[in-house]
Amino acid sequence: MTLENVLLVSGIIFAIGLYGVLSRRSTIALLMSLELLFNAVVIAAVAFSRFTPSAGLADAGAVTANEVRAALTGHVFAVLVISVAAAESALALALIFALYRAKETVEITDVSEMKR
Amino acid sequence: MNEAFEVPTVVSFAFWVASAITIAAAIMVVTVRDVFKAAVFLAGSFIGVSAIFFLLNAEFVGVVQILVYVGAVSILIAFSVMMISDVSHGSQPSRARYASVTVSALVLAAIAVTVYNTEWTLNSGLTDPDAIAGLSGTFIEDEIASGEGRVRDASGIQASDSQVVQTGVLGDSTGTVGALLVREFVLPFETVGLVIVAALIGGLALMRPREGEPDPRGGG
Repeated sequence: MTLENVLLVSGIIFAIGLYGVLSRRSTIALLMSLELLFNAVVIAAVAFSRFTPSAGLADAGAVTANEVRAALTGHVFAVLVISVAAAESALALALIFALYRAKETVEITDVSEMKR
Repeated sequence: MNEAFEVPTVVSFAFWVASAITIAAAIMVVTVRDVFKAAVFLAGSFIGVSAIFFLLNAEFVGVVQILVYVGAVSILIAFSVMMISDVSHGSQPSRARYASVTVSALVLAAIAVTVYNTEWTLNSGLTDPDAIAGLSGTFIEDEIASGEGRVRDASGIQASDSQVVQTGVLGDSTGTVGALLVREFVLPFETVGLVIVAALIGGLALMRPREGEPDPRGGG
C-alpha cells in the first residue's frame, strides 16, 4: 500500500463513477454514480494526508505542534466533502421527486425542455 | 528512508481486499439494470471505502463515512427507489455506452500516468526525528496550551510532571481532527452546517405541493 496504489484505486473508482454519470438514464442511478465520484476524491484526500508531510515538516527548523497537526488537513477536508455530499444528495432526491410528480418519469432523456 | 512509515504486510493485504470489494461493487452500481440492486451495491461500496479509510489511519473519516453514507445516504436512495414506482422494472439500457467507456478509460489513463510519473514528497523521506515522532511515534509538546509549542521526540527523554506524552497524529488522529475542526477550520465547519440547513429547507420547499393544486399522490 503506497501513495501511488491508493491514488490508483481512487482513480479507478472515479472512472467507474464517471462512466455511470455519462451512461445512466435513471436520475437516481446518476446520483449514485455521483456519490462514487465524491468517494474517490475523499480517498485521494485521506491518502495524501497519510503519506505526505505538511509543508512545515519537510524543511529544517524546530517542529511546532501546528505543523504536526496540519498533516491531518486532508481528514478535515474529507469530513467537509462528505457533509456537502450528503446535503447535495438530499437536495437532488427532492428534485427527482418534484420531477416525478410533474412528469411521471425519472429518465434523464425524457427531460429536455431546457434544450429548446 | 525510515521504518516508521512502512505499511505492515497485513494492512497492505487488507487494503487490496477492501479495494477489490469496493471496485467490484462500484462496477455493479453502474452496470446493473435494477436500480434497487444498484442501491444495495452502492451501500457495499461505501462500506469498502470506509474500510480503506480505517486502513489509512483515518478512523474519524471512516466512522463518518459509515454514519453519513451507509446510514443516511444509502437509506435515502433506497427509499426513493421504492417510492418512485416505475424505476425498478422500467430501467432503459444505457445511453452512449461506448463513448462513455472511452471517456472514462482516458480519464483513468491520465490519472494513472500522472500518479506514477510525479515525484511525491513522502513522509518516508523525512529525516527530522522530531517530525517523525510527531507524525507516527510519541511526542512531547513543550507548551501544550499555545499550539506553537515545540514538538520533541519522546522516546529518549523523561517527561516531567507538567508534560504529557502524546501519540503521533497519524497514530491517533481522531482527537486532532476534532481539534482542527473547531479551531483552524471553524469557519468552513460552520458554513457546512449552514449549507446543510439551506439544502434541507430547499428540499422541503421543492417537495411541498403547490397552492391550490391537489397532491397527485392522493394525500392532503
